[in-house]
Amino acid sequence: MKNLNIFTWAFLLFFLFSCEKELPTYYKYQGYEFASTDPSGGNWVPVLINSGDEIAIPAPDPVGSQQYQSELADLKFAMQNMTASEEEAVTYWTQNPIIRWNEIALELIAKYNLIPGPNEDGSYTLPNPANPAGPPAFPFANPPYAVRALAYLSVAQFDGLISAWHHKYAFNRAAPYIHDETIKPMYLDNILLSYPSDGAVIARSSRRILTGMFPLEAAYLAEKEAEHLKCLLLSGANVQSDIDAGITIGDAISDIALARASNDGMRNAQTPRAVSDSIAAAALDRFGWQWVNQEIPQRPVGLTPLYGKVRMWSVDNVEDTRPGPPPAIGSAEYEADVRILKNYAQNVTEERRRIANFWQDGIGTYTPPGHWNDIAKKFIVQYRLNPLRSARVFAYLNMAMMDGGISCWDAKYYYHYPRPIQTIDGFKTIAGTPNFPAYTSGHSVFSAAGAEVLAYIFPSEAVKVRAWAEEAALSRIYGGIHWTFDATVGTQQGKDVANYTILTAQNDGSD
Amino acid sequence: MMKKITLLNLTAWLVILTSMGLQAQTPSDALMMEAKQACVLFDYNFSSFDHYWEGTLKRENQTIATVQRKVVMPMAAIGITDNLNFFIGVPYIQTNSTEPNGGKFAGASGFQDLTVAFKYRWLNKSFDHGQLTSLATVGFSTPITNYLSDYMPYSIGFGAPELSYRAILQYETKSSWYVRGAATYLWRGYTKAEREYYYNNGSYYTPWMDVPSGITAEAVIGKWLFDRSLQLELSYWNLSSLSGDDIRAYAAPQPTNKVDMDRIGLFAHYYIKSIQGLGIVAYHNRIINGRNAPEMNTTGLGITYFFNYLKK
Repeated sequence: MKNLNIFTWAFLLFFLFSCEKELPTYYKYQGYEFASTDPSGGNWVPVLINSGDEIAIPAPDPVGSQQYQSELADLKFAMQNMTASEEEAVTYWTQNPIIRWNEIALELIAKYNLIPGPNEDGSYTLPNPANPAGPPAFPFANPPYAVRALAYLSVAQFDGLISAWHHKYAFNRAAPYIHDETIKPMYLDNILLSYPSDGAVIARSSRRILTGMFPLEAAYLAEKEAEHLKCLLLSGANVQSDIDAGITIGDAISDIALARASNDGMRNAQTPRAVSDSIAAAALDRFGWQWVNQEIPQRPVGLTPLYGKVRMWSVDNVEDTRPGPPPAIGSAEYEADVRILKNYAQNVTEERRRIANFWQDGIGTYTPPGHWNDIAKKFIVQYRLNPLRSARVFAYLNMAMMDGGISCWDAKYYYHYPRPIQTIDGFKTIAGTPNFPAYTSGHSVFSAAGAEVLAYIFPSEAVKVRAWAEEAALSRIYGGIHWTFDATVGTQQGKDVANYTILTAQNDGSD
Repeated sequence: MMKKITLLNLTAWLVILTSMGLQAQTPSDALMMEAKQACVLFDYNFSSFDHYWEGTLKRENQTIATVQRKVVMPMAAIGITDNLNFFIGVPYIQTNSTEPNGGKFAGASGFQDLTVAFKYRWLNKSFDHGQLTSLATVGFSTPITNYLSDYMPYSIGFGAPELSYRAILQYETKSSWYVRGAATYLWRGYTKAEREYYYNNGSYYTPWMDVPSGITAEAVIGKWLFDRSLQLELSYWNLSSLSGDDIRAYAAPQPTNKVDMDRIGLFAHYYIKSIQGLGIVAYHNRIINGRNAPEMNTTGLGITYFFNYLKK
């Protein structure tokens, strides 16, 4: 019967389309053999402390001691009684858990990257660290906030691991599976010295920094840390005293990092209206223009007007990195840009739309700095970096991007240049216009700074990452929310700022 | 003389809004085309909303002001046998916000999804006081252009294939009153965004978004008037998504959202006696309750034309 055939056909179609796609929630990679072990890593120059030996840990018990033998027995007992879900967790965390904590940071950034909406009366309430539950919840993890969180996370991990490497080679305690051949480690034998546990340094410092940045996530982060620490034992990589010593280092470096964070100027970055108005008035006075928020109801203050005054990592004076002024409104150069933007708006090609969306990284996402961390993560695995080298990548990447962001924000509020929707009548965009001045483009500066660091660390990827940064800069023009000079000058500014970071990296003793 | 058997109940063809996307529906009525008979329909409808449900919170948002959608939909229905009909249609959709709005976003436009459907009548039984009919429909739709689903609320559709399985039961009295119930299972596939990361109660490192499947339930009461030249209907329709996340605070919707809604509608179809085969449809419906759905009103007008595509 004909109709039966049709139903059979539909039934088959159902199964054809029912094939569930795997939608990855984290980066799935196999454990790998590290490209290097960096025995002299303990002598590298850290960022926040003077040297790796600045943080002290007690000398470990000798391997022949009763205490150590009893720790080995506990380890074996835990491994023998491992549940299936614990085994899964060990596989998830891997021997390079920097990757996982970076992903956790990106997830929290995306979760908290929500701009507060207006109240019933048209006013706006800002997130308040003194009352994190809000509403609105603290923080609003916008790009300046996000890159700062990533920088402190990565720097604490990096310094903590330099210290760990120092003590590993100073105390020279071999991993448990070397002392006892009946222990079958779940990870490759990449890290032969286990005191202190590098994993525990990462777990503790990551949990503490992220809790400082995302206070409402304290319980979630504590749960992640506990799981991670348990996995260090279950993997056969560390006995409990290895882990405890790692925790000591993690706590010490977190205290130092969080103390810097509390005094870096971020708390003053979101100004009251009077300060914001005077910044705008100064620009109007100086240049004859000022950026004005176009939302309904209008937001009285732009995003973090004084982020440009936040303490930088590698630049002493932000004004050293400030670019020259943009074209005057109404000038021939400005009018030429208006024509370019109108042309793009009227001719949205598939390619330009794809680029605008691919790099948009807007509200509710992990932001442009998050995107570059995602890119860096894949290089770290591809080049089989050990945790210390991985921490170095993330530290310089995020220091450069944060310095870039600070430099960019300095320019944004110094020049206070209008967005296209403000000065072009009836202009419409395919990307959301952010709540801060146009010149220079944050995406361009973040991306160029990030790409330069990656090009320095992974020279064979230089052409690729620089092209991506250029595309990210272009994406804002295609989106209709930036002028071409916001992007081109921003890209140059990002490269310029990154050079300060790269100079630091070249002199840290790792090459 | 042409039989007063319509091929389409146009409420069935009304575009049904899912999240902010429109989706052409397969027929949910109990009426059949005869073999060798065909019908074409040309439909226009206009929708707008200025409030929506963010999760279960009803709100307005001056960033988007009032969102408008205009839809033009050509479609055709063909009687293969008296008990088996085939349907095909594709809408053209245009969206925009009214001025002034705080977001200054460009709207979107383009052809949306091609829908094909088969309807089979497996029960058609006369009783002393009326007629009982039962039918089953299977439909399939898929995007025919690469419109961006991840551009809400302006995206013209949810950008994923859909399979629909519908069961319909109708009873019509001798006095031309009828009641009808229908239930549908909608399997919806994945849509591809133009970004490699999104948040859906956690991180997703992929451009693919899972568009929630759903079930719909519909109840209709109707009557034929003026020697079956005018058909009037009152309907209630519900969509419940089987998974999905809520729109986040003051953020744009995305195709992964759990969209639920209740909608009521009025529908009329008038067959012009003086011009054989020609009919006019008019309808209006309102979404009265929802979750991650717009509080949208839709008004539509259409022309139907029936003819025999093969000699009888």
